[in-house]
Amino acid sequence: MNKRVFLLLLILCLSTSIVLVKDNIPKSTTLINVHIIGPNKIGPLPAVPVPVDNPQTAQKILLGKQLYFDTRLSIDNSESCASCHDPAMGWSDKGPTSKGVKSQVGPRRAPPVSNAAYFPLQFWDGRAETLEDQAIGPIANPKEMGNTHENMLKTLNSVPGYVEEFKLVFGKTPITVSQVALAIAAFERTVVTTDSLFDRYVKGDTQGSLSPLEQKGLEIFNGKGHCTACHWGANFSDGRFHNIGEKNKPPMEEDEGRYKVTKDKNDMRAFKTPTVRDASLRAPYMHNGQQKTLQDVVDLYNEGGGHDDSDMDPLMVPLGLSNGEIEALIAFMKVGLKSLNEEAADVKPIPQSELPK
Amino acid sequence: MKKIYALSILLIALIMALPEIANAIPAFSRKHGFNCNMCHTAYPKLNDFGQRFRDNGYQIPGQEGKEKSIFATPPPLALRVLPGHTVYRSQCCTTAGFNIYGLDLLAAGVFHENVSFLFIYTPRIDTPAADFTGPDNGNNPSQLAVIESANVVFSNIVQNKFNLRIGRFEPSYLPISGKRSYYIFSPYDVYDFSTPLNSFVLSENQLGMEATGHFKGGFKYGFGIINGNNGEPDNNTFKDFYFNVSKTFGRGDGQSAGQRLGAFLVYGWQPTDFTDAFLSPFGETNGKDNKPYYRLGAAASLNWYTLNILVLYMRGADDKALNPVKPTEDYTFDGGFAEVDWAVLHNNRLVLSLLYNWVNAPAFDSQKGSKAFSVLGRYYVGNWEAVNVALHLEYTRKKYNNCQLKEDLFATVLDFAF
Repeated sequence: MNKRVFLLLLILCLSTSIVLVKDNIPKSTTLINVHIIGPNKIGPLPAVPVPVDNPQTAQKILLGKQLYFDTRLSIDNSESCASCHDPAMGWSDKGPTSKGVKSQVGPRRAPPVSNAAYFPLQFWDGRAETLEDQAIGPIANPKEMGNTHENMLKTLNSVPGYVEEFKLVFGKTPITVSQVALAIAAFERTVVTTDSLFDRYVKGDTQGSLSPLEQKGLEIFNGKGHCTACHWGANFSDGRFHNIGEKNKPPMEEDEGRYKVTKDKNDMRAFKTPTVRDASLRAPYMHNGQQKTLQDVVDLYNEGGGHDDSDMDPLMVPLGLSNGEIEALIAFMKVGLKSLNEEAADVKPIPQSELPK
Repeated sequence: MKKIYALSILLIALIMALPEIANAIPAFSRKHGFNCNMCHTAYPKLNDFGQRFRDNGYQIPGQEGKEKSIFATPPPLALRVLPGHTVYRSQCCTTAGFNIYGLDLLAAGVFHENVSFLFIYTPRIDTPAADFTGPDNGNNPSQLAVIESANVVFSNIVQNKFNLRIGRFEPSYLPISGKRSYYIFSPYDVYDFSTPLNSFVLSENQLGMEATGHFKGGFKYGFGIINGNNGEPDNNTFKDFYFNVSKTFGRGDGQSAGQRLGAFLVYGWQPTDFTDAFLSPFGETNGKDNKPYYRLGAAASLNWYTLNILVLYMRGADDKALNPVKPTEDYTFDGGFAEVDWAVLHNNRLVLSLLYNWVNAPAFDSQKGSKAFSVLGRYYVGNWEAVNVALHLEYTRKKYNNCQLKEDLFATVLDFAF
C-alpha cells in the first residue's frame, strides 16, 4: 500500500477512536433534554437525568410516592395518579383510554410513568416541558382528577402528617403547588425499568439473555423493521412526535395531537413516540388505545401506517416483514424488553390507610 | 501465450467496465446506530426509507436539524472492499484468479441543517499479475484513481419540492440506479453502451448541478445541467441537460414497496470539430460544430412483499455527424434490462436475483450489440448492529453479436463495508 494512503488511514483511525472515547464520557445527570440531538444507539439506560433545581432526596421521594398514591388529590377522593398510571399495568391503565373522576372517559391513553424522566417533553403532545409541570397537570384536569390546585392545597394543608413532611423536605409551609410538583416528579424519577434481557445482552451477557428468536427480533427492530428510526436511544424513544396514520375513529373526536401545542402543520396528528421498554405490560397501544396487541401494532407498521393521511410522517413506509420476522420482532419486544428489576422501581402501592393523616 | 495475454487484457477490460460501486455508506449506520438494513433492502440496494433519506440530503425524513452534524460525530468515513475470485471463460480459453474488484473510500454527512455532502474516492488498483507489475507493465489497473463523487446537497429549499445537488454526482436521470445494483460484474449494459464519437456514458457520474423534488402523491422529478462528459473536463461550451419524472402508486417509494413508473430524457451536444480548440487551465476545450444526441427511456419498479421486479427500456441516438461508422445515418440503438430480486431469510439476509440485459446496436455496427443473462446470490453476515459482510456469487453468460463471441464469468466475492 502506498505509504501516504497508509499514513492517512492511520491518522483517520486514530482520530475516530479519539472521538469515540470522548463520546463515551458519561453525560451529566443534570441534563434533562437528553434527546435534543440524535438518533442514538439503543442500549442500557444511563443514570436518570435530574434537574439541578430538584435534587433527589430520600424524604422527597417518599413524599412524592405518598402523593402519587393518594386519592385525596382528586376532587372526590376517587382518583390518584396511580389510578391511571398503575404500576401493575406497566404504569399505565387497562384503557383503551383513561377514565377519570365520575367515570369520565378521556380522549387519550395514559402514557406510562416508567422512564418518563428520560423524555424531554411530557404528555402525548409534549405540552409539559418538565416532569414537574406534568405532575400537576392531571390534578386540575376536569376529566382526570377534576380538582383545582387551590382545593388540593387546602386539602393537603389540612393534613398534619403532610404539613410535617413537606416542612421536613422543603423547610417551609404552607404547602405549595410547586412543592407538590417537585415531590411527585422526584418519585417518578425513581420509576426506571431497566435490566431487561436486552440490557444484559448488549452488556455481553450471552447466558440467560436473549434467545435466538429474540436476537433475530432485535436485528429486525434495528434494521428491516425500521423501529429504531423513532424508537432509538436507551429509552427506545426519540421523544419526538410522529403522525403514523392512527386517526381516531368515530365516536372518538378528532385529535390534532402535537399540532394543538405548536400550531405547526407538520405536527398535525403527531404524537410522542412512547418507550418500547415493558410494552408487553401496556396493551392496548397508541395514544388512543386502538391497537389491541403488539401483533396489531406491528401489522400497522408493516402496512406503512394506519389511515391514509396526507400529513403522515415520511418515515412511514411499508416494511415487507414476513410472518417469521413479525414473530421474532414481537418476541423481542415482549420478552427481550421486559424489565427484570421491578424492585428497583419500588412499585408496591401505599395503602390509603398508611398515607399521612 | 498470445491468446492468454489477450484473454487477460479482455478480463481486465471487463473488470475496468465494472460499475463504480460505491453507495453503501456505513458512516450513516455508525452515526445513527442503525443496522444497514434500515436503509438498504440489502446493501447496496436502497429500500424506501433509504431512498427518502438520500432524497432528503442524508437526513432522516422529517427530522431535519434534529440530528448530529459531522462536527458532533466521529469522522464520517467508510470503506467498501471487494476481494474475490473469478473464473472467466471465452470460446478459446479460461482464466481464473484472485483479485480486488473494487475499493471505495467514502465520506458523507450533514454539515448543517439541510446542507450535506457526499465524497467517494476510488484509489487505483493495479491488477496483480505473475510478474507483479500487472499486464502492460502496470498500465492496466483494474480500477482507476477517481473522485467518483464530490457533491454538496442543499435540501428542502422549498420544502421537499426543491433540493439542489452540485458537484460530481450520480444523476437522477436513471430511474433504476446502477450504482446500487446487487450485480458487481454485470452492470446494466445499456447504461454502459458507448457510441463512436460521443464521450457521454449514461452510467458515469456527471459534473454539474441537479434539482430534485418529491411530492406527497408519490410524484418525483429531477432536472439537471451537466457537462455531459462524465467526470472529464468538458469538450465544448454547450451544456447537456436531463429530466426525469416518476410516480409511485401505493405507499412506499417504489424501491421496496409501492409500484413506481418513471421516464427520463437526456439531451446533449458533442463537438465534431476541434480545430483551433482553446485549452483552458482546467483541461476544457471549446470544441465546435456541436451535434445533438439523446437518451430516452422508461422504467418500472414493481414490488410484491420482498420481491422486486425492475424493467427498463431505453433508446439512444447520436446525430449522424457523430457517426463515423456510417456518416449518412444517425447512430441509434436501444436496449434495456429486466431484473427480479428476491430478499429472503430474516432481515433479508439472503438475496437471489436474475437479470437479463440486452442492447441492440444499429445494423451497420451490429457487432456492438449483446445479450447477457446473469444470476446471483448474496448472503449477508452480521448481527443486530450491522449486516455488512456479503458472500457474493454471480454468474453471467454474455453473447456479443460480433463473431458470436460468448463469455462466461463466475465470481465469488466477499463484499464488505465498514
